[in-house]
Amino acid sequence: MKIIFKIALGIIAAVGGFLDIGDLVFNTQAGALYRYDLLWAVALGTLGIAVYAEMAGRVAAVSQRPVFDVIRMRLGFGPGLVALIASTLVNVLTVAAELGGLAIVLQLLFDAPFSLFVVLAAIGLVVAVALLPFGGIERIFGYGGLLMLVFVVTAVHQHPDWGAVANGFIPSLSDSKLYLYFVVGVFAAALMPYEVHFYSSGAIEEGWTEKSLKENRLNAIIGYSLGGILAAALVVVSGYLFHPLGVEPNDLGTVALPVQGAFGETGLLLALGGMLFCVGGAAIDSSFSAAYNLAQFLGWEWGRYRGPKKAPRFTVSWLVFLFLAVLIVLTGINPVEITEYSVVFAVVALPMTYLPILLIAGDRSFMGEHVNGRVSTGLGWIYFAVIVVLAVAAIPLLLMTNGGGG
Amino acid sequence: MNREDPIFIAHRLLDEQILDCDGRRCGRVDDIELQGSPPRVSALLVGVGLYPRRLPRWLRGLARRLSGPERWGASALRIPWEEVDRIEAAVHLRGKAEEHGLGEGDDPERWMVRRLPWN
Amino acid sequence: MSNRRRRPGVTAAVVALGVSLIALSGCGDLSRDELNRGVESLSAIAAQGELIANGVARDATKSTYTRVMAKTLGGEAEHEAEKLADAEPEGEVRPERHAAVQIGGELSQLFSELQTFPGDERHGAVVEHHMEEVKEQADAVVARLTGEAP
Repeated sequence: MKIIFKIALGIIAAVGGFLDIGDLVFNTQAGALYRYDLLWAVALGTLGIAVYAEMAGRVAAVSQRPVFDVIRMRLGFGPGLVALIASTLVNVLTVAAELGGLAIVLQLLFDAPFSLFVVLAAIGLVVAVALLPFGGIERIFGYGGLLMLVFVVTAVHQHPDWGAVANGFIPSLSDSKLYLYFVVGVFAAALMPYEVHFYSSGAIEEGWTEKSLKENRLNAIIGYSLGGILAAALVVVSGYLFHPLGVEPNDLGTVALPVQGAFGETGLLLALGGMLFCVGGAAIDSSFSAAYNLAQFLGWEWGRYRGPKKAPRFTVSWLVFLFLAVLIVLTGINPVEITEYSVVFAVVALPMTYLPILLIAGDRSFMGEHVNGRVSTGLGWIYFAVIVVLAVAAIPLLLMTNGGGG
Repeated sequence: MNREDPIFIAHRLLDEQILDCDGRRCGRVDDIELQGSPPRVSALLVGVGLYPRRLPRWLRGLARRLSGPERWGASALRIPWEEVDRIEAAVHLRGKAEEHGLGEGDDPERWMVRRLPWN
Repeated sequence: MSNRRRRPGVTAAVVALGVSLIALSGCGDLSRDELNRGVESLSAIAAQGELIANGVARDATKSTYTRVMAKTLGGEAEHEAEKLADAEPEGEVRPERHAAVQIGGELSQLFSELQTFPGDERHGAVVEHHMEEVKEQADAVVARLTGEAP
């Protein structure tokens, strides 16, 4: 009974922690531009992260190897270093985007200068990490993120044409470059690699073993699929309200507008609160990922569970990455723009970190009886193909559409 | 795996994580020393100084400038094969990291982290 | 791996191509297409302004949210108007350009009103109404530019 309860709590945290600023930005814009047409890309990305996270979590639990351990083993030093540098750049950009988002939400709530909130947000994150144990960090931000359920309630409350919503889940392509750019963006926002790197290192922080495999499967498959519903709700509420009006959501505050429309000030506060936890949790996850990756690749001691005294280089690099992100946000670049770049570059770097996991998960000498079965192998390789196509298309689409500006 | 067993070194040894007898992570197998014929593994080589040789030739000059020269005993360490206890998900050493000069980068005194509140 | 060298000529050509592409896209006259895009953005900003003013009118929002959003959107409208005012339009779209700049100015004024009275329901209702009108004006300009009936 106790174990079921614990697993349920884990799943709930996974749902609440699913969204980050990438989803908020891309899904709201996708809804405004194409109504429900891109829901299939949300579903595809959600299934993708479930597949990738399940594999990475299984590899971590069985072989005690987090993602960048596997990358160094399978790619070797040189190519692994390329993956490390690419992932680190993307991660720092992502931290900057999340921090900027956090500052914007705080600004919307308390109306004081943006740069003040950037600094306060960074300090707040350090305090949260200092006070809470690893599991506590994950849970608090995960549960807080559940406030985003208000978007699902809003979607239902709006009484959209459910037939049209269902139609959106049927994949469709068009020759519009902007549409294709948003296919890449929405997919990639659901499948940000830092989430998986964090998840797999977290498995080791929490001492997972082969006994944790059921928990892993439920977290990844059920938790992330339910999280996908939140991501889809963002598209639906935006598609319902913004699409007919021709609104172009270029500001994070606009994301909460449909909820305010439905439930007034209470709705607005719930939505902003949910965004605060999602973006704050993601800022911690992505900055930890950057430090995990570096430490694992170079063989340093790492982990929140070790503490700064036993893992000083890990701790210091985490602080440095956070500091770099603060500097990026303080340059004054719109966090929404930073988000777009971080998401698009993330999909470019994704194949490099995905392939080694797929190879190890299918290698009996590492995984024993928990090696990929037929379904995982099939899905794993199909997703690899999808990711490679998107990775190749991402940069040209970014340039041709002027960063989604049309 | 016992250390006397044959091993596919590129697959299971090179780039592997090294743990000391207390389970402390203290580096990776950055290179391997082979001796005799047929060649047998005689030592693990670890350290920042060895990174340049792992890169393509055109990058080595730059990498040397960043990581410094291979200084044996400092930026490049030799761990004799006899010191390896067993190979599982990582390479486990018999002794402590300090005995081999490993993991010195994670000396807390170097990083002013003792006072951080989340120790 | 080590013997292959990329020829310097190729790199230079790629760089030159990149630079000229950037230069080409950066400047030039304000075309009908660009003007149209600008007015569409103004219409989109007005639509958001309408929603935000509606929240104020119904007393269904938080004043900090209204104020910050109005500041941001007002800034965007002003920026768009400045961009259109600075560019040299192609002859035949001169009147539309003039209308667009005016729309941008009106928008930024409406937003500054929201910013000043973020908690005043009566003001909110008036601004909402004006936003709607400005959006209609913008949509009419778009219709003239694209040659479609409004």
